[in-house]
Amino acid sequence: MQQFANPTRFLKLANAALPYIWIITLALFAVGLYGALGTAPADYQQGETVRIMFVHVPAAWAAMMVYSIMALASAMAIIFRHPLADVAAKTAAPIGAVFCFLALATGSLWGKPMWGAWWVWDARLTSMFVLMLLYVGYIAIWQAIEEPSRAAMVARIVALVGFINIPIIKFSVEWWNSLHQPASVFRIGGPTIDRSMLWPLLVMGLAYTFLFLALHLVSMRSELGARKMRNLLIARGGRS
Amino acid sequence: MDWTAAHAGFVTASYVLSFIFIAGLMAYVLLRDRRVKRALLEMEKEKP
Repeated sequence: MQQFANPTRFLKLANAALPYIWIITLALFAVGLYGALGTAPADYQQGETVRIMFVHVPAAWAAMMVYSIMALASAMAIIFRHPLADVAAKTAAPIGAVFCFLALATGSLWGKPMWGAWWVWDARLTSMFVLMLLYVGYIAIWQAIEEPSRAAMVARIVALVGFINIPIIKFSVEWWNSLHQPASVFRIGGPTIDRSMLWPLLVMGLAYTFLFLALHLVSMRSELGARKMRNLLIARGGRS
Repeated sequence: MDWTAAHAGFVTASYVLSFIFIAGLMAYVLLRDRRVKRALLEMEKEKP
């Protein structure tokens, strides 16, 4: 990772990789949506409502993955003082927050016809709601604290402390009695979903991952540009 | 997908909502990138 510590080298690599990442993202969404709305059968119990799973589950996976990346980047900023680590964590947060919101909203749209309620204070739903609050809090720290080095320090602590919520989300359906169904893809013993539904779900999961990768690289490029502008302004202000 | 099935509206709402928020996020990220790139180019052109 240290070889990407130089922002110029990082930008060169990111600019070269981005067109390919966008093409892969679009292709994955096209194939995933074809599988989700075209070839996957209706569920014998849930009927057509099961198709909400193909946007709900990848959004939830992505929200958890993005927060884990933020925590990892924050740890790297503290331990290795990697110059891009704070930039990576800061720019990932708004993207993760949108994924988290989508997981909650599409879950609610699934809950109403299946459970008869838009929302229940179930362990899985509550822990995902806590993740949303963590995202909002993390973004608010960068907005509220003017001094970037102080904001980075507080944000790192929040990202690392908040990471404890990720295993809680994952295992909430096993640790507590929950309305939410248990894990059916990433579980010991293999997936319990039929192949006809599993492949579109995995392709949509990959599509969300590549979408995050593309948006994150663009956001990091913007943030590095904004920091360069700030430094130029300070340098010019200092000279005059 | 049977669009006349029971609860098809919930399925449609989920996909439309996801599309709107993802498109909005992409627009926000890409427009900010373009804005920063332009501003930086202008700043670098200016003589200090």
